[in-house]
Amino acid sequence: METTKTIINYTHRQAGHCESGATSNLFKFYGLDISEPMAFGIGNGLYFSYIPFLKIMFAPMISFRNLPNTVFRRATQYLGIEATVIKKIKDPKEAMAMLDRNLEQGIPTGMQVGVFQLTFFPPEYRQHYNMHNLVAFGKEGNLYHISDTVMEFPQVLTYDDLLRVRYAGGAFAPQGKMYWINNLKPGIDIKPAIIKGIKKTVYEMIGIPFPLIGVKGLKWMARDLKKWPKKHGNEKASFYLGQILRMAEDFGTGGAGFRYIYGAFLKEAGELFGNHTELLEAADIMGKTANKWREFTYIGARNCKNRSKPEEDYGMLSDMLMGIAQNEEIVYRKLEKIKF
Amino acid sequence: MKESIDKSEHPDDVPGYCYNRELFYGFDKERGFTRELSYQNQSNQVIIRQSWDALEKRLEQVQEAVRSGNVSPIVYYMEKMLMELPMLSAYMGLNRLRVRWHMTPAGFRRLKPPMLERYARLFEITVEELKKPGFMNK
Repeated sequence: METTKTIINYTHRQAGHCESGATSNLFKFYGLDISEPMAFGIGNGLYFSYIPFLKIMFAPMISFRNLPNTVFRRATQYLGIEATVIKKIKDPKEAMAMLDRNLEQGIPTGMQVGVFQLTFFPPEYRQHYNMHNLVAFGKEGNLYHISDTVMEFPQVLTYDDLLRVRYAGGAFAPQGKMYWINNLKPGIDIKPAIIKGIKKTVYEMIGIPFPLIGVKGLKWMARDLKKWPKKHGNEKASFYLGQILRMAEDFGTGGAGFRYIYGAFLKEAGELFGNHTELLEAADIMGKTANKWREFTYIGARNCKNRSKPEEDYGMLSDMLMGIAQNEEIVYRKLEKIKF
Repeated sequence: MKESIDKSEHPDDVPGYCYNRELFYGFDKERGFTRELSYQNQSNQVIIRQSWDALEKRLEQVQEAVRSGNVSPIVYYMEKMLMELPMLSAYMGLNRLRVRWHMTPAGFRRLKPPMLERYARLFEITVEELKKPGFMNK
């Protein structure tokens, strides 16, 4: 049997966060040199929401990231790049045929997938998490060449496996979502895009008048954390705390719930704007806050290990989280006041 | 700070996994923001472990319930696939109430072979395994 073989010369680079990594790699493929933190910052990856009355995986819903595909969509929009995003494809076969056509034309294509049935993924990570992104860059017979930024090396997936992960069910189902860049003209000025990106992030973190989103949500969660052991018992409190830490540290966040990546973005932006003192200061505080997040994980993990007898006082953890929230607020207030 | 906590607070009894290095960012005063490739550290492995332990505990409870005939094996396999009722009904393309009826022993007994096959295909098992899960033989 004759096997068709098309492999695009696409460089796989590992990244901290799946979507901004994919976005940055796609931009680099078309010759626009944008690092992962830069793509993350321009595309408003940073976000926080805490929804205690919605239970996901038997614990309150906590999210440190924006809705899926926000990073790619906003980054291309702010940078003025022509891109196509197809949100929903009803027929799975048609979705795969579209992917094949793209690959034949030499377009690396990003896709949203579910993690649970992703065969090359570490088994420990395989939960029903549908906001993962990967890029297909080649086809060889029945096999697709995949660049997944969580993995160290490029991977392969069969036709059936890829179809299955693209049509995973559950919350935020991918429904065959795919995206690619049509046209990227050289000589794009990224400064205006950075300003737009920062303003939008600041709005999302402190501007939205709803108490469960952004810094307000973080403070709400800190207050709730104190009550969990009394309200739910130690066992469950430890599981809920574990959920916060899992969301902050695992699932490809680059550590500390994307705070490190955002700090790196602020620093890069500061250097780009001619050593802008306020931006660099903000980056510094963000870095310190991220270190505090990591400390919080180290201490919290002890409670997760010894579930029925908490080693650390939940009141202390709550105060720590409150301190983190206040530090973050300082950063956003600082960014709000900057006049470019 | 990182090393001291790593060594003293988390002895090596945590089953570590190390087949894929990930990219982690870091920050310190001298070097600024850093990127490094490493395996998940011990405290992250603890919190990953926790969710799988919680699953095992739930599975044990469900096994007990299936043995005593309170619920049907579908509940067991649903838990094993980390699913919940809305997700299962979405994957099956059935109404939630109907799936809930299949979760009761009476509803499960009256299931017709095609429907059993659909469930078995979703759970990636045979129909016999679906009717009589492995833990029932012990």
